[in-house]
Amino acid sequence: MSEQPSEKLAIDMRGITKAWPGVVANDHVDLTVLAGEIHALVGENGAGKSTLMNILYGLVRADSGEIMVNAKPARISGPRDAISLGIGMVHQHFMLIPVFTVGQNIMLGREPVVGPGIYDYGAARKAIEELTRKYGLALDPDAITGELPVGLQQRAEIVKVLYRGASILILDEPTGVLTPQETVELFGVLRDLIKDGKTIVFISHKLKEVLEISDRITVMRRGRVVGHLVTKKTNEQEIATMMVGREVLLRVDKKPAKPQAVTFRVENLTANSDRGVPALRGISFELRQGEILGIAGVEGNGQSELVEVLAGTRRPTGGRILLGDEDVTTADAREEREAGVGHIPEDRRGVGLVLNYSIADNLILGRERAPLFSWHGLLLRLDSIKNWAKRLVKEFDIRTPSIETPARALSGGNQQKIIVAREMASNPKVLLAAQPTRGVDIGAIEFIHRRLVKERDEGAAILLVSAELDEVRSLSDRIAVMYEGRIVSFESPDADEARLGLLMTGGGAAERTGAA
Amino acid sequence: MNFLADIGHVLLTADLWRATLEAAALLLLPALGGVISERSGVVNIAMEGMMLTGAFFAVVADLALHNPWLAALVGIVAGGLMALIHAVVSIRFRADQIVSGIAINIFAAGLTLFLVQRIYGLQNVGHVGQSELLPYINIPLLDQIPFLGRVLFQQNVVVYAALVLLVLVQLTLFRTRLGLRIRSVGEHPQAADTAGINVYAIRYGAVITSGLLSGLAGAFLAIGISNTFAPNMTDGRGYIALAAMIFGKWTPIGAFIACLIFGLGQAIYDANSVIHVSQYLLSMLPYILTLIVLAGVVGRSIPPAADGIPYAPENE
Amino acid sequence: MPLGSVVFAFVVGGLIVAITGGNPFAAYQGLMCGGLGIGCANGENSALQIATTIVYFTPLLMTGVAVALPFRAGLFNIGAEGQLLAGSVACTVIGIKFSSLPAPILLPMVLLGGTLAGAIWAGVPGVLKATIGAHEVVTTIMLNYVAQWLVRYLIVGGPLQAANGFSASSPIAAGARLPLFLPNDNNLIIFGLPAGVYRVHTGLLIGLVALVIFAILLWRTSLGYEIRAVGQSQRAARYGGINVARTIIVTMLIAGAFSGLAGAIQIAGVDHNLTDKYFNDTTGFDAIAVALLGLGSAVGILFASILFGALHAGGSVMQADAGISSSLVQIVQALILFSIAANFLRVLRLPAFGRRPSAPAPTAPAAALMTEAAKAPPGETT
Repeated sequence: MSEQPSEKLAIDMRGITKAWPGVVANDHVDLTVLAGEIHALVGENGAGKSTLMNILYGLVRADSGEIMVNAKPARISGPRDAISLGIGMVHQHFMLIPVFTVGQNIMLGREPVVGPGIYDYGAARKAIEELTRKYGLALDPDAITGELPVGLQQRAEIVKVLYRGASILILDEPTGVLTPQETVELFGVLRDLIKDGKTIVFISHKLKEVLEISDRITVMRRGRVVGHLVTKKTNEQEIATMMVGREVLLRVDKKPAKPQAVTFRVENLTANSDRGVPALRGISFELRQGEILGIAGVEGNGQSELVEVLAGTRRPTGGRILLGDEDVTTADAREEREAGVGHIPEDRRGVGLVLNYSIADNLILGRERAPLFSWHGLLLRLDSIKNWAKRLVKEFDIRTPSIETPARALSGGNQQKIIVAREMASNPKVLLAAQPTRGVDIGAIEFIHRRLVKERDEGAAILLVSAELDEVRSLSDRIAVMYEGRIVSFESPDADEARLGLLMTGGGAAERTGAA
Repeated sequence: MNFLADIGHVLLTADLWRATLEAAALLLLPALGGVISERSGVVNIAMEGMMLTGAFFAVVADLALHNPWLAALVGIVAGGLMALIHAVVSIRFRADQIVSGIAINIFAAGLTLFLVQRIYGLQNVGHVGQSELLPYINIPLLDQIPFLGRVLFQQNVVVYAALVLLVLVQLTLFRTRLGLRIRSVGEHPQAADTAGINVYAIRYGAVITSGLLSGLAGAFLAIGISNTFAPNMTDGRGYIALAAMIFGKWTPIGAFIACLIFGLGQAIYDANSVIHVSQYLLSMLPYILTLIVLAGVVGRSIPPAADGIPYAPENE
Repeated sequence: MPLGSVVFAFVVGGLIVAITGGNPFAAYQGLMCGGLGIGCANGENSALQIATTIVYFTPLLMTGVAVALPFRAGLFNIGAEGQLLAGSVACTVIGIKFSSLPAPILLPMVLLGGTLAGAIWAGVPGVLKATIGAHEVVTTIMLNYVAQWLVRYLIVGGPLQAANGFSASSPIAAGARLPLFLPNDNNLIIFGLPAGVYRVHTGLLIGLVALVIFAILLWRTSLGYEIRAVGQSQRAARYGGINVARTIIVTMLIAGAFSGLAGAIQIAGVDHNLTDKYFNDTTGFDAIAVALLGLGSAVGILFASILFGALHAGGSVMQADAGISSSLVQIVQALILFSIAANFLRVLRLPAFGRRPSAPAPTAPAAALMTEAAKAPPGETT
């Protein structure tokens, strides 16, 4: 990495160390960001990127190290200090209050007032309109934030940061929740901001985007900086290898599928979202034993609700679901499980696991009354549970000191393996996998992908829902693209990525290819 | 069933409605406190204890200082100090806020009884002289209006204060910068923190304010409506105020409407000399009424999103 | 940690006594004497004091469970007192109405009746919570007051009042009384006093059995697994197919049953009639401290019950001997609650780093649960 002495350093972090009990999040990390550049901070989940930026923004205090902002030493003990230095952060999980209006959210902490503290809506509105006009970020200040689509919410976050006069913007995994179209718009906004003289730090694990938008890259692994790259001179494989420390398989090795009979049939399924708005508007598809059907689509187009209805945790408003000869349309979660439907939920910590329960207890979640684990549904068979747990921990390579360790203590990848183990070990006829490798380290991702293919080869019918298009394409035998509660097309996994992207955003002819 | 007829008659008297407004004001003060506290994200079920504390110290101060205004101030401060304990335990120590609230109520009950014995020996606490109570003020001219005059304008000074506070709190919460910040802390403390707002300061302030308001209510009860301190004289009003807050969906105006309903129940009980039914059965009325109101709350009530969750920015 | 809380509470309590001009040592000596029969200075009979403590802590065993079990499900049962009173009323009514029945039938009847009454008294808040998410803290407290006034209504000029005009009910039939451990023979002198003075009754055995049942239920049954899962994470429980609403209701019913049983035992074993003293009874509230101090475990509840039983018994001796109001006991209790509440979240966080939690009671999720019950989305099946 060449450093011209005439180029100013916007950010210079030296020797940053931060340790939590049991884990070192940042280990003597150095980071330099040149003024006027887009600098990507890359690494796996848990590499320490977010911690580093939280330290820069004052949300977390480092144990040791120095920070220089615009070549002046900085003491950042809280977000106020960071804001006054011109640093603004757009978080991965938005720091927006859903029940407030866009205007109130943007103004929070810097509200214009009239008289004895009365909030001045007029002044706020004017200021926001100015900002949004300047950067081409159209926003309605009176809209209720929680009701806006995610892309607009993110825009509100960006305007919020700009309103406070930020010249250095930190964006933490900004594209995870955006449609491809919104991502393109975001990148356009970022380039405009650079032209306006801002500096941007872009945290991501999405290598394609990093290559597209950034000027330089810093790679972190396990709390340390393991490399600096100039974007123009590197490629996806090189970055991935640096992130993981070894050669990484970017596509899953698999034999072609041998699909058998159709066992799972969904006909014209309709359902509402939590807010009572229709989320599924007539979904129909068939699933065969021995195949993986991947649902491609940007989050928020009904995929979550689809999985919930199929798993029995959400009641449909119409349509039919048939498992073999059985009509399971109104089956609840317990009945679905007993009928042979496994469910890997998209929220592993909040839904898939009871974090304070031991691994063993988590491995029987939902089956605590099954004959294998209980005497007549009353008393638990503790020995049987223990043996079950030991077997699964071994088979699924779950890294843990013991089966009695609370699930909370495990890494994300191992937590996910508990869920995968539990759902697969009961030999389900149908497996619903929602975002099965989100937030999981690469080793576990590879493991889970292999197991999914193995289940398929052993005859299970798998429905894979993922926001990562690569994952869908590499695992699925067939792809269904969902948009706004409908399946707009069935595609082959070899279909052109651009075409898939277009379908995911509602464009392109809804030509049906492949069997429905 | 002629007690129903009795109730019917009593409902037509201005006196009953005056009593209703008075009882409602007594409940409104802690209810406002609860709204403020929970809007900032701190569950506060300690109003009962804070009221009781305020009542006790108001009486003690009045007997010693012979000045109801100073005594009320003492009661207010006493309530605030109790709230401070809850605040520290809940915010600084991130304790479970329900347990802390219950602990305050038990603490207040025990402490007041203990101090009664310490200060007054095993006799009862003395009675405050008529002239040293918080006065009832008839607003000239307006109080001559038939029916409404008696109901609205012949009230205790604290009742007027409570109504003023109602408007004040409503406006502050929903029209001012401070209110916006309080609500942000209760909905999404992390967002507020990243916007540079001092989450802890706001929560402390909110909880202490709820203590001050409850203390005032206690003082009103002890040296306004009554003239002495009796053990557990608050009789569950702090909890009823909680129910009012929930019914009112955490808004001051909504809570006030609920307080009016509960106040009506209380007033009917107080009129038990003219209603021919066992006074003990009537005693149940406020509590059963609360149950019914809670059971009938239309739709699930949604408290501030971060209510009850201690703010721990470095969590995980 | 619980030990630390107790020590802390006694120290601060002592300070409060000292600050207000009392003698903390005399106070605690009085407590020790009344509670444990140790260090009695005024000629009190140690054995009698111990017996009194046993009588006081017996119902706490069951009411402690009545609070601890819902705690595990993320519920705060503040209504143990009302449930207990419901049980007492039921026991009294049955014990009087069916006085002609022989003991082997009547005794189980009154106990069962009390149990059912308590279950119903807790079931109502349970149903309200499960169906519309009503704040169980408020609903159970309201029912406490209703129960108290019901007791008073019944025995002061009401249908249960005894003919002699006192504020008490008629005594229950002999067949409804729990046998005592020592024969009621005043010619038999034990530890210096006639045997009939010691009122330790077989309800103690029932209480101990109740504790065992609680432990088995919570840790060894499928239902217990489900209760704890609901307390830890309602969403995960729902995902696993557990019927959250039904679990909540069942938990409250069982809890109320335990409390109602305690109430029945108090009548059948100790007082034999419903008196005005029940209006001021605090067993159900002490139970909250017992459950928390005992960290929600059966063994913990046992020790905490003994502690609070001793404090209760000690209070009256302390008041008589040292002139310190027995409400000091309440103060100590509150202080214990404070220090436990302040520590709990730390206990919950330990598991994150590999250490085994020492029976963590789910307090943090409980508070959040009350908001969560109110927020569960309309389309979801429970």
